Amino acid sequence: MKSDLVIEKLSKTYDRTPTGDAAVSNLSLAIASGEFVTLLGPSGCGKTTTLRLIAGYLAPDSGTIAVGGRLMSSARGVVPPEDRGMGMVFQNYAVWPHKTVFENVVFGLKLRKLTRAEARRRVEQALAAMNLSGLEHRYPNELSGGQQQRVALARSLVVEPSVLLLDEPLSNLDAKLRERMRSELKQLQRRTGITFVYVTHDQSEALALSDRVAVLDRGRLQQYGTPREVYTRPANRVVADFMGLVNLIPARVAGAGTVQLGGLSLAIAPPDGTAAGALVDLAVRPECIRLTMDGPASSTLAARVEDRSYLGNLNEYVVALADGVRLRVQAAPDAPDFAVGSEVRLSIDARQCNVFPHTAGGGSPA
Amino acid sequence: MRWRLETVVTALAIVALAVLIALPVASLLWGSVAGPNGLTIGFYTRVFARRLYLNAVLNSLILGAWTGLFSIVIGVPLAWAVARTDMPAKAFVRLTATLAYLSPPFLVAIAYVNLFGPHAGVINEFIRDTLGVPALTFDIFSMAGLVLVTVPHTFPFVYMLTSAALDSVDASFEESAQILGAGRMRTVLAVTFPLVAPAILSGALIGFVNAIALFGSQAVIGLPARLFTLPTRIYALFDYPPEYGLASALSLVFVATTVAALYLQRAFLARRSYVTLSGKGTRPGAMKLGAWRWPLLGFAGLTFVFAIALPYGSLLAVSLSKSWGLAFWRNLTLANYGFVLFRYDVTQRAVLNSLLLATLAASGAVVLGAAIGWIELRTPTRGRRLLDYVALVPLGLPGIVMAVAILQFWLRMPVRLYGTLLILLLAYCARYLPLGVRAANSALRQIDPALEESARILGASWGTTMREITLPLMRTGLFAGWILIFVPAIQELSASILLYSPDTVTLAVAVYNLYENGYTEPVAALALINVAIIAAAIAVARWVAGGESHFASVT
Repeated sequence: MKSDLVIEKLSKTYDRTPTGDAAVSNLSLAIASGEFVTLLGPSGCGKTTTLRLIAGYLAPDSGTIAVGGRLMSSARGVVPPEDRGMGMVFQNYAVWPHKTVFENVVFGLKLRKLTRAEARRRVEQALAAMNLSGLEHRYPNELSGGQQQRVALARSLVVEPSVLLLDEPLSNLDAKLRERMRSELKQLQRRTGITFVYVTHDQSEALALSDRVAVLDRGRLQQYGTPREVYTRPANRVVADFMGLVNLIPARVAGAGTVQLGGLSLAIAPPDGTAAGALVDLAVRPECIRLTMDGPASSTLAARVEDRSYLGNLNEYVVALADGVRLRVQAAPDAPDFAVGSEVRLSIDARQCNVFPHTAGGGSPA
Repeated sequence: MRWRLETVVTALAIVALAVLIALPVASLLWGSVAGPNGLTIGFYTRVFARRLYLNAVLNSLILGAWTGLFSIVIGVPLAWAVARTDMPAKAFVRLTATLAYLSPPFLVAIAYVNLFGPHAGVINEFIRDTLGVPALTFDIFSMAGLVLVTVPHTFPFVYMLTSAALDSVDASFEESAQILGAGRMRTVLAVTFPLVAPAILSGALIGFVNAIALFGSQAVIGLPARLFTLPTRIYALFDYPPEYGLASALSLVFVATTVAALYLQRAFLARRSYVTLSGKGTRPGAMKLGAWRWPLLGFAGLTFVFAIALPYGSLLAVSLSKSWGLAFWRNLTLANYGFVLFRYDVTQRAVLNSLLLATLAASGAVVLGAAIGWIELRTPTRGRRLLDYVALVPLGLPGIVMAVAILQFWLRMPVRLYGTLLILLLAYCARYLPLGVRAANSALRQIDPALEESARILGASWGTTMREITLPLMRTGLFAGWILIFVPAIQELSASILLYSPDTVTLAVAVYNLYENGYTEPVAALALINVAIIAAAIAVARWVAGGESHFASVT
């Protein structure tokens, strides 16, 4: 029953001209059986292409996809979607409008030549598990978006696929429903033990759901790790930027294990291959910066509050350092409040910082 | 192995396009330059050197231009009145436009002959003999008469396109003009009409193209007046001995005219994009016309009288009279119906042939259209756009030209198809294929590919997915396309007139032949039977379509 999904050196270009950008480029990814893996990235990053390659809707230009040791896709040939034993849930649900809920869910079972009674039993089971009992004879246009989503899930799960592919399944739901479906999805995956490959551009969704997150950008894998790893230890500034708000501040390498920001010495290992004096980008998340009324010059920097927004669960500030660099800072609402224009001291927790080679144009997002 | 079915479907579609369109058109081109001693441009020089042919071109252009103009004069006020004013009886105006569009143009022409024929037309008779003012009589056998009987068929194009454009103009365009101080009338003239002008011109050009292609009315009205147009002149070239080369060359001049007009139309339509951008705008309030709504309603009523009431009223009266004339109501009879239905042996054959041809042609064009649409939208087949273009070529071919092309192609083939129902079927399928492709295309575009993909990943093969998902979802759209083809096919005359034989006579040809032979009263009866069949077909279609609306609103 081991059905690890192994992707090796996968490449796909839609526009086959010499200048055509690859949608997916040299992507390698190993997904263990029963794992919940999210492909995360901005639109156009290649995550949906990757999913469609896994499903067999697309043929790769090079590289392979194998499930449980069985070769599914290569440049030489592709096992068609119908012979892969996978399931897929689409962004707009793709519930067939001309079939009732029952007919939708039973479709895959009919193709598997189950007896009528057995098929009916399993459909009822699947519908019950999705809280859809009693809606068997409704047409999709008589269902809410959330219910249609459940029908799509039931339809995919009732055939017990080895792998379930989900293409932004929550993005068409309203915020509250999205929250609820999110936790239901997670429970569902734990309960069934089916491998989930989940595509989203929503980093909070990825962090909340996944065992591991694969961050993609422009067709290339940027980082593959646990949610905590990609959030706290992003592999590069693209990942750091995508995983949430981040301040990228120009700083200098002071020596092995030290980076200098203004008058502040931070104990962080600089990136490999940077000599002392080299310019680097310090990546600090807004919640890792603390503002105080005063503090020693050895461990804090002078800053001035330029803007302040009350966001309910936190206060967000824009502060300017002495050299004009602007930073975003988030503080708990019960922390001391600072008015716009006030002079403050700013401290940074070095353990929560990352350093990347400097890139021109790299500044703070504020 | 698993791509087998898809490959077969693609290959069949390509072969069908070649046989239906590409090869006949190639034959037409070849026929226009192949002289007895090799290639020649002699046919073209004769076409352009002789008044006989130039006059036909000129007359067609004049007819098209006047028809287009009058279509605007009638269609635009009606469209505006329905879309933007508080004129009463809007449903009546919509009905008038629909009926006028559906009514067979050559039957309207025949009906008008009964009213305005120089000698026997009853209205002329009334004016001349009862009122005693012969100067006020109107001779239908003239260019003016031809325009009069053609406009009822073409103004609905302007009406429909203008209505659609007016409906999609966001109210905020007009409201911004009003807030800046423009009065109501000023807003209409300075904002509304410029916005929909491309749609108006586009409708007029479609009217032009349709008007000049109508063989029936141009033969009925034009021939007695020695007023030759392109279709009638091409038809005359098939009198013994047939002049294939000249007919081909003249046909291609006809095609060039049509294509030029369609090209202009596309250009206008492309400029319309700024109208439809906003879908969420509010509807403007209806303009209060005050006393002005009565003249406007009168105008709509007049349109109804000329497009519907007069032609159909007179056909009914003629069909029920023993001898048509001012005193017809003194000797009413059903004998004409008895004659055409039971004693005139051509009728039953013609009805059967037309029903068979229209059913098969509509089905064939829709099935082929679905295949072409599917290849274009759902496969990465190389050159799939080309298939689509070829399928749309018949839009530029008037009916009689399609017949000339198909005739020439099959005369060169070893199989003898001329004189069979099959050659008529091929001509019909080719003529109406663009309607099939469009119906299939728009139906497929409304189906999210994910609906098909989710069937595939659940284990369904290509064939199963087609049968279970794609075709059922396309059904409503394809059925609408089927009716859109069936209705004109059952009254097809322009191509049939060159391709029929005594055994394969069609309904419209039967009417035309009966008319040619002077059977005034039976013709009217047969014409009304023709209309009844069309009405029945539409009624059945509406009834069938009504039963499947439960998923019309999804995806």
